[in-house]
Amino acid sequence: MNKEALIVSEASMHTDTMFLNMGPQHPSTHGVLRLGLTVSGEVIAKAVPDVGYLHRGIEKLMETRTYNQGVVLADRLDYCSAMPNGLAICLAAEKLMAVTAPPRAQALRVLMCELNRIASHLIFMGTYGIDIGALTPFLYAFREREMILDLFEMCCGGRLTYNYMRLGGVSNDIDDNWIAKCREFLEFFKPRVDEYDTLLSFNPIFRSRTQDVGLISAQTAKAWGLSGPNLRGSGVNYDVRKSDPYCGYDRFDFNVPLGQTGSCWDRYYCRVQEMRQSVRIIEAALADIPAGEIMAKGLAKIPKPPAGEAYAHVEASRGDLGVFLASDGNAAPYRLHLRAPCFINLAVLQEILVGNKVADVVAILGSFDIVLGEVDR
Amino acid sequence: MASTKDAALARLLEHLSSAEPAAHPIKDYPTVRLSDPAEITKAAAFLKDELGFDYLEMITAVDWLGPMQLDGLAAARTAAHPFKETPLKADPPVTPAPGAGAAYRPVLDLLWSFGNLRENLKMFLRLEVPRDQAEVASLTALFPAADWQEREAFDLLGVRFLGHPNLTKILTTEDLAGHPLRKDYAHQKDRFDE
Amino acid sequence: MGIVLDQLPGCAKPLPGGQFLLTTTDYFIDLGRKYSLWPLTFGLACCAIEMMVAYAGRFDFDRFGVIPRPSPRQADLLLIAGTVTKKMAGPIVEIYHQMPEPRFVVAMGSCANCGGPFHDSYSVLKGVDKIIPVDVYIPGCPPRPEALVYGIMELQKKILKMKIAKGGGATPQQEKGSRDLTGNGSNGGQV
Repeated sequence: MNKEALIVSEASMHTDTMFLNMGPQHPSTHGVLRLGLTVSGEVIAKAVPDVGYLHRGIEKLMETRTYNQGVVLADRLDYCSAMPNGLAICLAAEKLMAVTAPPRAQALRVLMCELNRIASHLIFMGTYGIDIGALTPFLYAFREREMILDLFEMCCGGRLTYNYMRLGGVSNDIDDNWIAKCREFLEFFKPRVDEYDTLLSFNPIFRSRTQDVGLISAQTAKAWGLSGPNLRGSGVNYDVRKSDPYCGYDRFDFNVPLGQTGSCWDRYYCRVQEMRQSVRIIEAALADIPAGEIMAKGLAKIPKPPAGEAYAHVEASRGDLGVFLASDGNAAPYRLHLRAPCFINLAVLQEILVGNKVADVVAILGSFDIVLGEVDR
Repeated sequence: MASTKDAALARLLEHLSSAEPAAHPIKDYPTVRLSDPAEITKAAAFLKDELGFDYLEMITAVDWLGPMQLDGLAAARTAAHPFKETPLKADPPVTPAPGAGAAYRPVLDLLWSFGNLRENLKMFLRLEVPRDQAEVASLTALFPAADWQEREAFDLLGVRFLGHPNLTKILTTEDLAGHPLRKDYAHQKDRFDE
Repeated sequence: MGIVLDQLPGCAKPLPGGQFLLTTTDYFIDLGRKYSLWPLTFGLACCAIEMMVAYAGRFDFDRFGVIPRPSPRQADLLLIAGTVTKKMAGPIVEIYHQMPEPRFVVAMGSCANCGGPFHDSYSVLKGVDKIIPVDVYIPGCPPRPEALVYGIMELQKKILKMKIAKGGGATPQQEKGSRDLTGNGSNGGQV
């Protein structure tokens, strides 16, 4: 037999692409995301994220709730870090009413948002480790997170959905006992971040799975409207806390960690470093909490902002969370649009997944730290 | 490049023929109102290429038809509970609040928000389109970020973005009729409602 | 276990003292089932975070033999942790039917119980029991991990009452059958 007839050249071989469905029930999609992947061998030829499996109609429901009731719904948007969500809505309404929260309330807002940022990044670290195959960091991360949740519980009674922000202030005050507990936590937590570095961040296996994977250039990141650590991981210095300070963030001295190449590892390490910066902010805030009221005076029980439109945005744990509020003078918002950072961050997947290996999909998806409650709203 | 928000605003107004500063700007941010729907692409391209606004932050719209129809929602409530539940928004009847842009009129008020990250500027563009013919040019060619946000506005508000490569529903189910964030949206019972 | 379930009632009944044997076998099987509940890792919304906390060190679900499985084919407990939307209803029914019998469902949180804070939304299902039978309801928004642990303990009590002579291990809810919303059944599916 002719030996050469048996050799199949790559050009003569007919290969088909295959459709691979991922989700909505998949342990690594962090919720109910569905990805429709067209694979050519091991390489992804086309990726179509399918969202909406957690679309709860929050923007519509907001139109039937008063502002303070709206905070309840907002807590359930990005449930890993609920504090900044309510804050964005309160800031937008406060802008319309020309109300400013008293200094003590502002300090408490900063304190809670930063604690929540740490808690949220800890969830990210733990679950991202699991996605890659490192199961132990999950247990470490959730141990520290429980301590933060205990602090929240002491202050406002909630573990996950706090309903803490109020239009014109916050709902509960803190006492000296809380401050002592918080300091205790910070002292415990600071060396832990270095421990994470040895556990996961600089683990050779972890690095080889995440470095040079899922690269996003600064230009791509900006064009797709990414925000938060996903944008900063690509080296774009944009942080709402610096560029459009709210609640007195300009009083605090902190750095904005930036990545170099926009790889999965850069996005991951931005978050780890943000935890360190958050500790700095919390320490500074604890050292100098103004005395006084926690709610602005002279507000009605059911506030009715005057007719008009306002936009307020905060640096939530996952990026630039904006609230566009149109009021017609009633107790409920006429229209409330949420610029959900996760939703906008997720759209870039359809571009950057193409050309990657199937095995890297989970690593790339996990590095975006999406929360489906916010993606679908 | 523009250094201040006033300079950026002035240059944008100079470049566009149908633009004027909005009578009721979004609080604390420069807002430009366009009157010609054809100019949105021109405005966005000018903002991106000349003024350095290369970050599309947000696309959304407001339906200024009037207070929301609670029909669909209220019916769902009474079905869920045997007793008639008063809607939570049970304040005195809504008085049309003129001024500050809240006069009720059958338009969809579109909103784009652009950011200039280098110079820390932000610019809002507004454009009114009639509710029954809500069409505007898509910005996907200039900003990939517009892709999903335009799909969302199409899904929830029924704005058709001409030239969008894949203008399909993104959040709601296929069998949901209508656009939920429109003020006259009445929910029709589906197989999951009782 | 499947062989035991299929063969045991038939071969044990004719035996002298078989009734006695049956009772203890029930206990034996239920004991094994009770302490090896393998839930599907299936988080829908906020409650999923509290579910994850329950697996972590502080609450340590492993003590109860609750070990998460990534595939419905290996799981016997479906923890509905979060809001069930109408778009998600179809996949949930599908996952439920992929699980082997006997299967249990725990509705965690107000959303899975009745729609919760989103009960008046156009896109939220008012309780997961509209599409699949539920064994244990855990209220709360979200329930604390302790509440989830308590719910699992209640389910374990329920499992201990199962008799293989009656219905071959199906729970009363499963005997009633689920509303089939996939469009193939007789009592559902029509819009």
